[in-house]
Amino acid sequence: MVLFVLRRIGQALIAIFGVMTLVFFVQRLTGDPTFLLVPETATRADIEAVRRSLGLDRPLLVQYLAFLADVARGDFGLSYVQRIPVTQIIASRVPFTLELAGGALLVSVGLGLPFGAAMALGRGRASTKLLTGFVFASQSMPTFWSGILFILVFAVWLGWLPPSGAGGWANLVLPSFALGLLSMATFARVMRTALLDELHKDYVRSARARGVALPRLFFRHLLRNAAIPLISVSAIEISQLLAGAVIVETVFAWPGLGALTVQSIVSRDFLVVQGIVLIGSFVTIGLNFAADILYSVVDPRIRLDGGAA
Amino acid sequence: MARKAFLRAVLAATTISLVSAVTAAAKDKITIDLVNEPSMLDPHTQWNPDSYFVYRNIFDNLVTRDDAGKIVPQVAKSWKYLSDTRIEFALRDDIKFHDGTPLTAEDVVYSVKRITDPAFASPQLGQFNKIVGAEATGPATVVLTTDGPYPVLLPQLVKLSIVPKHVVEKVGKAEFNLKPVGSGPYAFADWRRGVEVTLKRNDGYWGGKAAFPTAVFRAVPDAATRLADLQAGTADLVVTLDSDQARQLDASPVAKPLIVQTERVAYFALNSTKPPLDDVRVRKAIALAIDKVGIAEGILAGGEKVVGELVAPASFGWTDGIEPFPYDPAAAKKLLAEVGAPAKVKMGLATSPVYDQKVVQAIQQMLRDVGLDVSIDMTDMATWLKNQQVPNTEAPMLTFSRWSCACQDADGIMFPLLHSSSAWSRWKTPEVDQLLEKGRSLLDEKARLQAYGAVHAYVKENVPLIPLYQAAIIYGARKGLQWTPTANESLFLARMAWKD
Repeated sequence: MVLFVLRRIGQALIAIFGVMTLVFFVQRLTGDPTFLLVPETATRADIEAVRRSLGLDRPLLVQYLAFLADVARGDFGLSYVQRIPVTQIIASRVPFTLELAGGALLVSVGLGLPFGAAMALGRGRASTKLLTGFVFASQSMPTFWSGILFILVFAVWLGWLPPSGAGGWANLVLPSFALGLLSMATFARVMRTALLDELHKDYVRSARARGVALPRLFFRHLLRNAAIPLISVSAIEISQLLAGAVIVETVFAWPGLGALTVQSIVSRDFLVVQGIVLIGSFVTIGLNFAADILYSVVDPRIRLDGGAA
Repeated sequence: MARKAFLRAVLAATTISLVSAVTAAAKDKITIDLVNEPSMLDPHTQWNPDSYFVYRNIFDNLVTRDDAGKIVPQVAKSWKYLSDTRIEFALRDDIKFHDGTPLTAEDVVYSVKRITDPAFASPQLGQFNKIVGAEATGPATVVLTTDGPYPVLLPQLVKLSIVPKHVVEKVGKAEFNLKPVGSGPYAFADWRRGVEVTLKRNDGYWGGKAAFPTAVFRAVPDAATRLADLQAGTADLVVTLDSDQARQLDASPVAKPLIVQTERVAYFALNSTKPPLDDVRVRKAIALAIDKVGIAEGILAGGEKVVGELVAPASFGWTDGIEPFPYDPAAAKKLLAEVGAPAKVKMGLATSPVYDQKVVQAIQQMLRDVGLDVSIDMTDMATWLKNQQVPNTEAPMLTFSRWSCACQDADGIMFPLLHSSSAWSRWKTPEVDQLLEKGRSLLDEKARLQAYGAVHAYVKENVPLIPLYQAAIIYGARKGLQWTPTANESLFLARMAWKD
């Protein structure tokens, strides 16, 4: 177990270092932010002066080494656009991302698991077909479309909820559904498949033959055995909810990390993008790590020795 | 049945209370949806439209423009030329910053020196670098010196915000940026990062009390969401809508579109230093092949107006009488047939997603229709800008772009696009250079107009580039909001009010 953890931490560090290097150089291949910060009428000398003030006039390798040294000290630098510490900008957005991810997770798990179970246990019924249709529709609707649709129906026509922005809990409802419905479908599908796999196994048939009631069978045995694929999916879905809410955040003007990422990429705010990517890779790697550990908790047959990873 | 009726009643009550809450709150507070949040609120450290919309309400300037576009006093009561290069401003003595300290000549001098200091590296430096001296000659008089006669000084000063010397020096650049203190009709109150900036009315404003006690600027990147905010009553004024959305608002019971023609001019740039564009017949053929009316009225249909000059009627330097090239594909084909095979060279049309791609693709098709081989080269905005500011040998052959100097003066657009010293110019002739230098240095307005008139005629004759249309912008506003948007794209809260 200790060996496993140490090995995974080593792997994680290498992966994060690779991601940082890649994002540093790829961004700098895409253009010079200085041009976006000055008016069109700026002279070459003005542009040079601004570039110098941002430290972009230094050779690329020097910038890279300085960046690594800063990151090692926990310093992510000043945003080119806002001229305040990158950590401050990101920290101001993290609570919003967590709120939205939490809301979306509530929608996706809260609806996805029961829906998946209903789809597996009630196969063939008309109501199940209707449910399957709904799950499919949720997965097929792109969020830039469903988001606008939700705003139109629930904010403009019915006036029940605010259309955009962050303020109170009411603001969280629409974006949570827009984002959550998409991964709800994934949870429902995985839940359905995993349960169906289990339902066909011998132990289920003999338990049923012995007269074990379905609810007891479901909660005591089926759910536990179906949990492994759900845990893997959760790790991926949660990291996507945290990092991938770009479109939903833009549509709902929700000030999370996704919207910040888009803005920062468009304005070539390199240091902010680097900070976000670093956090994103930490989260993704951390969640996958947590999922690995959870496997062994849920299924004792999986043992975390050095070779299992 | 009774339960259903009860539910319906509850629902109706909630809806009504929600809606009335929105209307009641709206009287005291105006909410404006911008595209992004401001980058910084220190008026000297950035060049960013979303910041500009907000900070122009916090700070006063020496002079400003009225709704008709005329330069009128603000901090400066009056001004007079002491010589061709020295201009004296008499300042109001009743202006106080939001911390209660009076605004003095020292603050004006400090502001000018701060933004023109090369070490300060303001992105706006290029707009003020003709100013070489600022001096307080009395408690309420300031003399500015330019490096030569400079007629565009006042139009540029419209953008130079006056900051309080004592505050900036005390708190430093970083802190001032977070909590700016000005003397304008609104004072900075709060900035929730990524969400909104709140301003509070300056009740002691020398220019009279503004209409709304509170103003909130929100960041709403998606235009469809801005429209929904307006329709749902969450926002009172939203920026940057397109003509389809304006038509939706035409039918709305709660909101209306506000359309204004700006000082921004759309143009088609030609790299005339490289074949086949070094042949005036090819350039003329392109000018004849582009259906400018079709683009302005058919594709954009948002109030754009076709122009024959590289300056909008909203700017100084516009002269009546230069007609745009007509749309005449037959004449274009004839000219290209004269040129023959050399005209068939493949040419790239540089663009970025910032520009309306419907227009870019239409132009590509129009040029193909007359037999030119044009492909679209799409890059992101930073790369597009970089590619424009390179030597002519590397510059794109064709470019669609729009330009505004935010100064409403021909110098701000014609000099960078046509003078040989500019990185943007693909034209190098002493004749044009001389005329543009005259326009930049003559203090006599008539003589300036004459110089720009001559450049307009030259552009029509030699087609170094093709003026297309005067751009329009579309705002969406609550029905009850009274406001006249202006050509310089400013959002002055003090000029807005609720109509009862």
